[in-house]
Amino acid sequence: MTTPTLPRLLVIDDEVQIQRLLHHTLGGGEFQLHAAKTGQLGLGEAASLQPDAIILDLGLPDLDGLDVLRRLREWSTTPVLVLTVRDGEEDIIAALDAGADDYLTKPFRGRELHARLRAILRRGRTATEPAVVRFGEIEVDLAARLVRRGGQELHLTSREYALLCLLVQHRGKVVTHRQILRELWGPNAEQKTNYLRAYIIRLRQKLEPKPGAPVHLKTESGIGYRLMAD
Amino acid sequence: MFLCIGESQTMNLAATSAPHRDGLAGGNSFSWEFTRPMPVPPPSSPSDAGPAPAVPPLRSRFDGPARSDWREYASVIAVVIALTAAGTQVPESYYTTVGLVFLLAINVMSLRVGRGPILTAGVLLALIWDYRFVKPYYDIGIENLHDALLFIIYLIVALIAGQFTTRIRAQAANERLLQERATALFQFTRDLAEAKTLLEAASAAITQMDELLGARTALALASPTPATHLPRFIGSFFVYERERQVAMLALQQRRPTGRFTDVRLTSEGYYVPLLRGDQAFGVLGVKVGPHDVLTRGQRELLDAFAQQLALIVERDHLRAASEREKLLAASEKLHRALLESVSHELRTPLAVITATTEELAEVNTPEQAELVGEIRAAGQRLNRLVGNLLDQTRLESGALKPHVDWCDTQDIINAALEDTQEAMAGHPLTVQIADEAALVRADFALTEHILSNLLINAAWHTPLGTPVSLTVGIAAEGTRLFFQVADRGPGFPKAMREQLFHKFSRGPAAPVGGLGLGLSIVRGFAAAQGGEVVLDDQPGGGACITLYLSHTVSDNPPPE
Repeated sequence: MTTPTLPRLLVIDDEVQIQRLLHHTLGGGEFQLHAAKTGQLGLGEAASLQPDAIILDLGLPDLDGLDVLRRLREWSTTPVLVLTVRDGEEDIIAALDAGADDYLTKPFRGRELHARLRAILRRGRTATEPAVVRFGEIEVDLAARLVRRGGQELHLTSREYALLCLLVQHRGKVVTHRQILRELWGPNAEQKTNYLRAYIIRLRQKLEPKPGAPVHLKTESGIGYRLMAD
Repeated sequence: MFLCIGESQTMNLAATSAPHRDGLAGGNSFSWEFTRPMPVPPPSSPSDAGPAPAVPPLRSRFDGPARSDWREYASVIAVVIALTAAGTQVPESYYTTVGLVFLLAINVMSLRVGRGPILTAGVLLALIWDYRFVKPYYDIGIENLHDALLFIIYLIVALIAGQFTTRIRAQAANERLLQERATALFQFTRDLAEAKTLLEAASAAITQMDELLGARTALALASPTPATHLPRFIGSFFVYERERQVAMLALQQRRPTGRFTDVRLTSEGYYVPLLRGDQAFGVLGVKVGPHDVLTRGQRELLDAFAQQLALIVERDHLRAASEREKLLAASEKLHRALLESVSHELRTPLAVITATTEELAEVNTPEQAELVGEIRAAGQRLNRLVGNLLDQTRLESGALKPHVDWCDTQDIINAALEDTQEAMAGHPLTVQIADEAALVRADFALTEHILSNLLINAAWHTPLGTPVSLTVGIAAEGTRLFFQVADRGPGFPKAMREQLFHKFSRGPAAPVGGLGLGLSIVRGFAAAQGGEVVLDDQPGGGACITLYLSHTVSDNPPPE
């Protein structure tokens, strides 16, 4: 019925309707889906099935989703997309800190879910990064450390480039403020979000067609940034 | 013991100046409410503070070695007379034996009486012996060297015996005193330890001290830090305002004040602060009669009591603090669990509806797509409603913890616009952000919510096609950031302005629908991050709502 080349997805969610909905949205031949209704079952399945990615609901009946994530991360690096109705930033940041690769809040759009899954699966699958990443009219040549806009070379300062590079490496996925600040300004600068904001504004001015309404460098309110790549 | 203040059944032993009583979150003030029925004071005036304690006080025992009184002198003189009388009955040649008997008597007596009587008896007996029993009789003179030596040796032995036994007696008395103090302190500590509440401990302490010292004691417990306010005393004497000030001095200067000290010597009472580490927990006041004194021993004992009391009070503080903390944590956890469960239960079906309609919209005919669009719009409206209800609950339960951080103003506005895209569809919107307000400190989610609510409000209450403007800037004084949403609708009726902020309150011209939570949440979210919301008329017609937040200027990133 299924070909072995399809990526295996494990959905850990106790809601039958969500399970069915995910089957409908994701079951169109792109993925091979498996379901687990509790955290315990999910952990067992994750071990025996060796899925390519896991969709984890944070509100489970037996275990807290965060605990499931922490236990999973003790032995597995399988990409995890957290699905939650909790819209508190703290919960999402906690999940990302605990090792989740990305998150999606309910209610979600099918297209969004596909995009997020593709982004987290890319990390699991490709061993080598492409040398050139394109989004919109922007071209980032990671090997040559060059950024072009519509074929024209752009001048970026070294920190602007480092920031862009970090987002490009995680393209399609959320990168938290803390992650960026630590990477760019060191571990003591985790509170210096104003620096980060200032750099994002500069980058948007250089990269976005309309800096006031960004389409590539998206803000995830209270959490971080996401580079929308093609 | 009895308590001198008892107008109410509820006695505030340590009320703070501003007690917080808002439910479980009782603030940080330490206060004990004594709701146990308290003994009612007798009708006597507070100055003569009721009957003396029934138990005989231990005061004499704490006064050090007993002073010799007239009775001791009388008894030694009686012994001297008896010995003299007995001595005259024996033959004159036995005079050395008489002398030895006298010496023996001195030694025996020294075990019973003090130094003064012993010396008196010694000298008296020596003189009588010399006068009556040594030749020449009835004369002070002594005939031979042998008798003179006997007399001198006798006198020296008598004196040494007197001195020696007195010292032993003093030592014994001292030891007894120490032992009694240890016992008193032990009993005091035990009584305090047995007390289940702070009130019981305080009552026990006051009773004990009353009995031990034969004095009247009163106790006031202050709020821990800063020790600036001393609540009323409870205890067996009334502390007048003037005396309270002396007690306050003890608290502030962290040393005993009042009578028997060099601070306010003329006060009626002696006040000892309850010290523990660098904190002062209250004051212990002791009052004795105008002719009585508190000896050094008694004052030392009081110090020890005060230390014990301080320990008890501190323990109680710590216990109260930890209990309150536990309670708060438990209530917060419960609230959170409840909110999360409700949120989960309501949002999951909504998520299914929204996602399903989206799928349907892509595959069906235009008419069907329109119907599906209706479902989706309803779903979105319901979702927003659930969000508002949960937000309101979160606000009211105090579970809302603002996270103020640097935000890109454009980001906040973009998020709000995305959120209100459909509601704002029929209203041309102009957005203006002042350059100096590009980077602001705010809670992103709360501010975005406020703006969404204000935009939806504007769209909802104004005719289709009328413009809405959103302006962000810094108010003239430079310390306040404002977000202003203005429309060209009918504006707010003046009389209703304040009421509009109340939950479930809706304007008279509001179209059907909506719960009237929008502005209530707006105000709550603004207050949560230290801001305020002002309703006004727009010049030229329409309403204008402004959110004010405090503004901080960002420092520039370090140059590369």
